[in-house]
Formats: sequence, structure tokens, C-alpha cells
Amino acid sequence: MNAQPAEVLRIFKLLIPFEFLTGIVALLMFQFGGAASAEESLSGILAGDVISIHIEPEAVHLGGKNRQQQLLVTAQLSDGSRVDLTHRCQMQMEDPSVARVVESRVAGVRDGETVVKVRVGTVVASVSVRVNGYDVYPPVHFRHDIIPLLTKLGCNGSTCHGKQAGQNGFKLSVFGFEPRADFVALTREANGRRVFPAAPERSLLILKATASLPHTGGRLIGQESPDIHLIAEWMRQGMSYDSDRAPSLVQLTVSPEEQIVGMGSDQQLLVMAEYSDGSFQDVTRDAAYTSNAEMIADVNAGGIVRAGQLAGEAAVTISYMGHVTAARIFIPRLPVPDPYPDLPVNNHIDELVWSKLRKMGLVPSQLCDDTVFLRRLYLDTIGTLPTTQQVRTFLSRTESDKRQQAIEQVLSRTEFADYWALKWSDILLVNRAVLGERGAYQFHQWIREQIVQNRGYDEWVRELIAASGNSGKYGPVNFYRALRTPEELTRSVSQAFLGLRLNCAQCHHHPYDKWSQQDFYGLAGFFNGIERKILRTDREFVYHRGYQQTKLPTTGEIVFAKPPDGAEVPNFTEPDPRLHLANWLTEAKNPWFARLVANRIWKNFLGRGLVEPEDDLRRTNPATNEPLLAYLEEQVRQSQFDLKQLMRLILNSRVYQLSSVPNETNADDEQNFSHYTPKRLGAEVLLDAICHVTGTPEDFPGTLRGTRAIQLWDNHFPSYFLETFGRSERTSPCECGKSDSPTVAQTLHLMNSPETEAKITDVNGRVARLLQQGSTEQQIVEELCLAALGRLPVAKEQDVADQLFAGAPVRQATEDFLWTLLNSYEFLLIH
Amino acid sequence: MPRKSKGSDVCQRREFLRVGTLAGLSLAEVMLLQKVCAAETRKSDDINCIFIFALGGMPQQDMWDLKPEGPAETRGDFSPISTNVPGIQISELLPQISKVVDKLAILRSLTHEDSDHGRGIHIMMSGRKAGVGDFNTGDHDNNQHPCIGSMVARLGKVGELPPYISLPNFLNSGGAAFLGPSYGPFVIAADPAAPEFKVRDISLPTSMTSERSVRRQLALREINRFSRRVEEVSRSARSLDAFYQKAYGLMTSQKAKEAFEVDRESEAMRQRYGMTSVGQCALLGRRLVEAGCRFVSIENGHWDTHRKNSWSLREVLCPSFDQGVSALIEDLSDRGMLEKTLVVVTTEFGRTPQINDLDGRDHWPGAFSVVMAGAGIQGGQVIGATDKQAATVTDRPITPQDLAATILSVLGIDHKTVLYTPVGRPVPLVGDGTPVNDLFT
Repeated sequence: MNAQPAEVLRIFKLLIPFEFLTGIVALLMFQFGGAASAEESLSGILAGDVISIHIEPEAVHLGGKNRQQQLLVTAQLSDGSRVDLTHRCQMQMEDPSVARVVESRVAGVRDGETVVKVRVGTVVASVSVRVNGYDVYPPVHFRHDIIPLLTKLGCNGSTCHGKQAGQNGFKLSVFGFEPRADFVALTREANGRRVFPAAPERSLLILKATASLPHTGGRLIGQESPDIHLIAEWMRQGMSYDSDRAPSLVQLTVSPEEQIVGMGSDQQLLVMAEYSDGSFQDVTRDAAYTSNAEMIADVNAGGIVRAGQLAGEAAVTISYMGHVTAARIFIPRLPVPDPYPDLPVNNHIDELVWSKLRKMGLVPSQLCDDTVFLRRLYLDTIGTLPTTQQVRTFLSRTESDKRQQAIEQVLSRTEFADYWALKWSDILLVNRAVLGERGAYQFHQWIREQIVQNRGYDEWVRELIAASGNSGKYGPVNFYRALRTPEELTRSVSQAFLGLRLNCAQCHHHPYDKWSQQDFYGLAGFFNGIERKILRTDREFVYHRGYQQTKLPTTGEIVFAKPPDGAEVPNFTEPDPRLHLANWLTEAKNPWFARLVANRIWKNFLGRGLVEPEDDLRRTNPATNEPLLAYLEEQVRQSQFDLKQLMRLILNSRVYQLSSVPNETNADDEQNFSHYTPKRLGAEVLLDAICHVTGTPEDFPGTLRGTRAIQLWDNHFPSYFLETFGRSERTSPCECGKSDSPTVAQTLHLMNSPETEAKITDVNGRVARLLQQGSTEQQIVEELCLAALGRLPVAKEQDVADQLFAGAPVRQATEDFLWTLLNSYEFLLIH
Repeated sequence: MPRKSKGSDVCQRREFLRVGTLAGLSLAEVMLLQKVCAAETRKSDDINCIFIFALGGMPQQDMWDLKPEGPAETRGDFSPISTNVPGIQISELLPQISKVVDKLAILRSLTHEDSDHGRGIHIMMSGRKAGVGDFNTGDHDNNQHPCIGSMVARLGKVGELPPYISLPNFLNSGGAAFLGPSYGPFVIAADPAAPEFKVRDISLPTSMTSERSVRRQLALREINRFSRRVEEVSRSARSLDAFYQKAYGLMTSQKAKEAFEVDRESEAMRQRYGMTSVGQCALLGRRLVEAGCRFVSIENGHWDTHRKNSWSLREVLCPSFDQGVSALIEDLSDRGMLEKTLVVVTTEFGRTPQINDLDGRDHWPGAFSVVMAGAGIQGGQVIGATDKQAATVTDRPITPQDLAATILSVLGIDHKTVLYTPVGRPVPLVGDGTPVNDLFT
């Protein structure tokens, strides 16, 4: 790679460990000591003048010896923007004998009241400080204080003591979700050497954490850190597990929840925990942070987010004691075009996307041209290339609504059902290796029929979830044959229809969401009791024998059937509990059902979900354009789950019809839909496309000649092509088993295989036909470009063709030209 | 142990980014790469591996760990013979190998708990215990964890050849799991011992002259150059381009293409390895690592001798195995390649001490043997020991995780490297393994 020096520098900057950067920040702050120099430096950073400064929290109350309070200082600038100045302001305590400023935190000194003053240039603000109970170290409990610390330090992570076998004989529950067991492990196991109440600093726990003794995990805390004091204090106080009187955590809040941050700038987060007794506590330094896009914005243990040198956005997940929240950080591209262009709008989708683009300093690409649109529309909607005739007709039309008309035509074609049945069969695991031929065939037929009828998505899912009957005759029961245990069903149903990854919660509390084992087995309770009676080879009779009690495998605790976040169902009126679940799942107020399908459909057309992965919906994985996803969701509900309506809306939007060619503002944008994102044709669609262009149908054993790959009723028809190009393995309930990642074998197969060559040279193929008709070079080139690329040739193709035709007999030149098109990126991509 | 690990540094991480950019990965993917906790490159990234998998379960007590003093009902039919290393004996079934034992380390104390083929293969191929599921259909990627070859493809230095090649077919649990198919094996689905052996799609179709092919390639470059504006945005196109370059390199590089042509070897050399599947695979494996492939996995089967164990070993399995493996070791040594080539002969488990009613031995993961050579491994040594029936490890137990960690560390990859699955779950390459450092002393 011949990177430019500036590029190398940029890369280096991005790769320098964050800890190091915060060191630099600290150094800079040190230099900012004097007011004058602070102002001087600020003037270079800030876009406008500071009008006012806002301090959070509104008042500081420190109850107890170890408490500190993070301050968050936000300046309102004259240009309307808000900037974090927490680490770039002067903080001064009026009465330093009561409290002092440590970095940007307030720490107590003795009981009393005072005021902390914050100054930025000439603007001053202040908040009151009250310290009480300073002489008393508040009670330290294992569950409330020590577990979060172990989580923050990573001790109970899944690669350290949290893994199944523990580490060097010391095992903790992953992320601390079984505090009782961890308490025993720490206080009783290893002959109690891990703790040492008489001399906490000589306990194994502290010696290891400070690496005073050899520790594979290294030095996690310094000798003088408040964390050490906390652990020592806990031992000194007699190692309490919990207290009935200790208030419980009600919720976690972060400030700011959303913030625009300039490239290379910092944003301090302030994380407050609210307790059941109405009190608040600063847990900024105790919470654990993860960024979903570290290159865009990274976050350190102190809750300081640092924006990188790329425009984009990141979600920072904040977790503390099983509670989670998220902060969203936007880094606009600079400079924001001024004036920002006036953008045409086809429908409300455009308004919502433009509004986000504007915020991010991005301008959308041009509208794509007609041929690009038509090919894209056909491939994305029905997995089929337009014929040469369809392209010509479309080009010849002049009506202003011709795109709209084309969309209507495509939505009503029979290939629509083939293509969407294929997509749903991937998610619902239609696979003869598991279901047998009869079951797989019936299941696929049923799915396809739902699409043909354009039945409401909610209706057919309701039927699927509640299905009972003979698998050889009634397709949807095969869902319960592909997934055979309550646990498998719980994992799959929650992922396929709700976008919830409950699979984490089967064994431990979900690390980035609120789901616990109770939630997992609550849902599993609906599937407990499903029977599968073998009728004969390949056929089973599936039914539910009525509600069965479900117990947690770890503790034996009985859990009632309960949908995630729904009410417990202690008594079922229905004989089959799945009816209750099916209704809950598909009712309009279910917060995930419509959201997931809206996101799936969006991803199918735009190449990227508003939430990614598309089936991982959780608070800590927010949509890149939340108003847009909320709107799409609402459209799904309003149309009574008529997914064609949603598709119609998306296809008609200007956003969908944007060119994939970027402009100077949006080339780096991958998440805001400022231009169309090209994607490789899927395995089945690509094989069909090659058949179409070469004019030679593929032969699949046991099917009628002419059967297309997107029409196959399962994924086990022998085909080297489909294997190699990554058809879905249909082993997990998502589209993730399908792969469009390239391999050398794929490229070689397209370029060199006898199969490709046979198609090109087939005596009944397109080349043969063109030659029989005595076509001219001009006609040949035009016809092949229309078939493969969905457009007329331009000078460049003509030049290449001229060279090929000049140097070889016409048949050979035609074949070579077709070969070239089949291997071109333009053919292989939807763009 | 001669290899010293070097700490991670910015350049190391920059290398990841560079690789990422070349492969046309998205920002998110590059970020994943970044997250890869610095695979500490040792100065041994020029070491390649030939990994021979005896599929079905190789009987330790009849091959590598004979127990002539053991009870008659478990001892079996074979006697130990002396080798070229005083004090080390192996089976009379392996007369040729007995002459190269000075170059081999025999690990007699492998042990795990999975007596099912699929699950045993999974743990031996990937260094990770298989979770819930059926692992016995071996024709596609059923990995729950990337196999060692895919780890090498992902984290190792790569050259002109695909970094991970599998022959003579896709080996069960030889997939890339969450790393994605780009890191899966390049599968040579053909037996190099067959007279019509040919690697699929590497050479031009028979009707195609090379002159014409060159014309096509030139035309293709022209056409693709014209859509450069699309490529500039499209990571899909960039990533297609990266694979096109690799494929094109394979097709056009004489050296790369010739590496696949086992019939370029002299008749004498081919006879030396034996005109058998394992022999010719070993020979082809040698050619491939010689040309820069990092990891060649070879399936050799079927060792699942539930019936007629002794007869199968004597008549079917061992003669070709003995000849192929010994020839490989000698040949690598003669060419001065053994220093830079790690040879591993492994299997999913051993076989029961008891001989069943059908004169067979059944599955036994409690104790079995693996053989390694090359790449700085001290030859002529035995590591670990078992009891009188070769049934229980009595000294120096070695887990599949240890074995995987050893192979990775020899190939210059830190086995503790943490990768992230698409849902962000951190997964170390090898969870609980420790490299078997005694191998190098």
C-alpha cells in the first residue's frame, strides 16, 4: 500500500491506544493551568463564543467518606452548538476545607457546605456542594459494591475468571450474574486466602489485582486507587453479602444521551444511578463502557468518549449492576456544506434521511439513472435480472412516473414470491437434511403461498407459531421439527421474530441487555410440552400437550411462562400455550415484532439495516436513524403488516434511488444512506443471472427443466456453484448463514470452470442464437450489455469489443466478450 | 524454547489495518481486526504446517504406544520394534517411520473427553470443545469455532497461494466459523493419486488457449477499470477485486500453478511417497508449503476400526501411511525444509484397550498419541506416558487445547489472541491451552 504521509499519520493517530491519548489530554490540561492560556487554547477549539455554561448535576451531595461526584460542564456557544468543557475549564472550591476538586470531580474533606465555581473565560457558573457523614465509610456490600467493581475491572469477563472453567482455579460467574456463588468463591474457597479481614492489603484479592503477586491478568488497579480502599473497607467491615436495608438500583441514566462531537474532541459522560430510596449516586467511574465503533469514538474507563478522525456515529453502552443504558455520539463531517443544498423529496423517508444527513454534514448523491434503477429494482425485489426487452421498453418511456409504474409491475410479478420465499426459508430453516424431503417441500410451499396471497406478516407468523398437525401435509409444523427443544425454539423465535438475542441469557445474564435466565426460561415455558410423534419415515405429528412447569436448570426455581417484558401467565385458558404467545408476539403493540421486520426489509433494499446486525434489537444497539426506523415500524402497523406496502414506500423513496457513486462529502459514509451501497448478488440470484445472460437454464436433479435457483424448495440440491457462492446453510434462524463474502474458489470458478465455459458456448445459448441470427458486432455487443448489465454499451465496452472482434473470429470474440461481462464487477454487483 | 514473543506495537496493528484495507473490508471489519488483541508475531512467520489428520481414530496401542507387557486381552497382535533412536520403540507396522524417529516427537499423552467422531474432530481441529449439535456431517463448515487452519489464514502472513489448503476434500470441522468463508480452506476436491488428478478451476478449460485467456483477462481489466467510480465507494467491489487478484495470481503465476501439479515430480519421488492417497497428498502438501501455503490439511482415513482392527491396520491403513509419512519427513529433511515446516500427525481420539467381539477396537479419547516434527521440535523424544494398557495418561497430560496452542505458537500466532464474533462476544483462539514447550528442549 502506498499510503500518503498524511494518511499514515491519520492511521497512526487512530491506532494509538486510547489510554495513551488520555495521557496526552491530561498533559494538555496541565498546560491549561492559567486562565489566559485556557482561553487562548479554547478559541482555537470552539466554533463560536461561549454564551453560557451548564453544570450537571445541579447540586452535589456527598454522603459518606468514599463518595465523589463527577461534574459535567457543557458550554452553549453562539453558533447554537453545545460543547463539553469538563476537562477544559477551571474549577474552584469556595471552601477547600469542606471539599476539593480532584480532576473534574468533587471529593469531600469534612462535613459542611460550600460552592464549586466553574469558569470558562469570563463566563462563570456554580453549583452547591454539601458533604455529610464524611467520617463514616458507608456500608460496603458485596452485591452492590464489589460485584460492579469486579465487572468493571474485567475479572469476571468471559475470557478471564468468568469463563466456564474459571482461571487458575478461581471461577466467577460471568459478568457477576450469580453474586451468591461469587461471594462463596471469594470468601470461602481456597481456604479463605482470597480475603483477609485483619489485613486486607495482604489478601490474595488485593495482591493479585495490584499484581503484587504474579497475576496473569496483570495489574488492574494501583495501590492507592479508591477501588483498593473499597475492597479493603469491605473486608474490614466484615464482608457483608447484602443488606435488606440497602436500597436497590432502579435505573441508570447517562448525560448526555445524544451529543454531536467534533473530530478529535472529547465528551465526558456522567452516569448516575437512582436507588429505590430516591437517592442518586455518581457511578461514572464504576460503570463499564463499550463503544460499538471504536474507530469512530472510543471510550475509556473514566467515561470519557474520544471522537476519532472519521465522521460517523457510535453508541456507547454503559452497564452497571445488570442495568444498561447507551449514549449516542455523532461526529459530523467537516466542513458542513454551506449553504446546504435544497433537496427534493419523494416521500417521508427522504425527509427523515435528509435531516440526518444534514446533521452529519453529508450531502446525498445524485439520483441514479434509469437503467441502474431498473436493474437494482429487479434484483433487490425479485432476485431476477430484467430482460433486454424490459430494459428497452423502460428506456423508451417518457412518463414522469415511469419508475413508480415499474415498481408496481415488479411487485406483482410471480418471481416476487419465489424470491421472498427463498429469503424466509433461510430464516425459517427449510432444510431437507433435518426435515426430510417431504417436510422441507411442504414447508417451502406453505411459505411461498403466504407470499403469493400477500397475507399479513402477523397473520402467517401467528399461524406458524401455533401450528399443530402432520408435517407431511401441513407445512408450518415443520418449524417445530427444525427446532426440537424448548431452548432451541426460544433462541430461534426470539431472534427470528423479535430480534432479541436471548441465547446469551440461556446461561448468563445478557451482557448488553436486560435479559436474565428467568426471561429465557419464561419464554421457553411456552414450548415446553411440544410433542413430535413419528408417523412414518420423514413425517411427524406435532402438537402441544398443554402447559408444563419449567424450572431453571441452575437453581431449580420454577418460572412461569412469560413473554419477554410481558406479564406472567400462571394459568392458561387455552389448551395450547403457544396461542397465547402467538397473539402476544404479533399484536400491534409488541415493540419488536414490527420493528424487526421493518429493519429486515430496509436492509434487503438498502444493503444495511438501520440496526446492525439486523436482528439484534436492543436499547444499547440503537438505530442509526431512529426516527426513520420508528416511521417504518409505524407504516408496517398501519398497513396491517402488508409488507408489500412497506417495500413500495422504500422503493419509491429518493433515498433508494440514489446513485452508488459518492460525492466529495459522502464517500466515507456507511451508515446514513447518503448513497446506495453496492452488494454482491446472492448465490442463487447470481446463478440465475448467469443462466439468464448465457441463455442456458441450470439442471437441478428432480426438478423440471428451467427451474431457477431461487425457486428451489430447499438448500440441499447438489450444486458446486451454490455451495461455493455461499447459499445459506440454514442452521441458525437468521440470514447470517448466507454469505456473500468472496473467496478465491468463487473467482476461479467464474473465470475458469468448464461449467461457465459450457454455458457461454452452449449450442442453444444466447451466443449461439445471436450468431444464428447473423447479428452484427454492434447488435451482439448491445444485446449482451443489455442482458448482463441492464444497459446499453458505452464507448468503453465498445472499445473492448472492437479489440476482441478485430483479433478473433466472430464466435470467439462474442464468447470472450460475454466472458468478460460475466466476470466484471458491474455484473456481479447490484449497484 | 527458541521463539521469543515480541510485544504488540503500533506497526503490528498497522499491519492489520493494511491487510484490512487491501481486502476491502468495511470500517466495521477493520475495527474488528483492530480489536484483535495484537497477535504477537514471533520471528517464525515463515513456518508452514502440514497437518495430517488420521480420520476415525488411530489406535495408540498398535502404533505409537505399544504395551508388550500389558494384559493379553488388550495387548493386540503387534510387537514393538526398535527405531533409530535408542530407547524408543514403535509398532512393527511402521518400519519406515522407525528410521526417522530421530526427527519425530511422539506425544503419547493426548487426552480429552469426547468419544463421538464429530465432536472429537471438532476439538482436535479447533482446540475448542464442541457445544450442542451434530458434528458428523463433514461436507460443510460445521465449526462452532474456527479451525487452526482458518486462524492461520486470518492472522498469519499470507503469500501467493491460498494460506489454507485442504486435501483431498473438505475435512470435517475444517471451517472458519464466524471468521467467514474468506478464511475457510481452499479445497482441492480431488485425490492426487488418481491418474486424472486436476485441481478444479485452476487451469483453463481444455478448449481455451492461453493466448485467448490473456485476451480475456486484458478485456476484463479494461471493463473493470471503467467502473472504477463504483469501486471507489463499494467495499463489495474492492473485496471482489482482492480475490480477483489472488485468483488471477494463482492462474497466472507459473510457480503457484505448478505447485498444484503433483505430476511434475519425478516418478522416483512419487514412488518414494507411494502412489496412494496419503502418499500423494503428503507429496502435494510438501509442494504447496514449498510454494508458500501456510497450512495444508490432509485427510487420511478411515481409521475407525470397529471390526478387524489388526487386519485393517496391517493390510490397508499402515503400509501407505508408513510410507507416505516417512517419505515426507525424509524429503523435507533432505531439502532443508524441515526447519521451516511443522508436520503434525493427529487424529480425533485413540481406541479402546479392549478388543471387541468383532476383533475391533472402539473409540477411546482418554489417552492417545500424536506425532510432530520439524520447525525446531527436538526429534527423537517421547513426551508423556500412559498406563499398562495405554488407557490412562500417567504422565504429562496434553489436551487438544495444548496441541492447538503449540501449533499456533510455532506458526507465530499468539494462541491467546482474542477475536470477536459478529455479536461482539470475545473469543480467544484457544481458551485454556498452554504450548507444549518441552517439545523444543
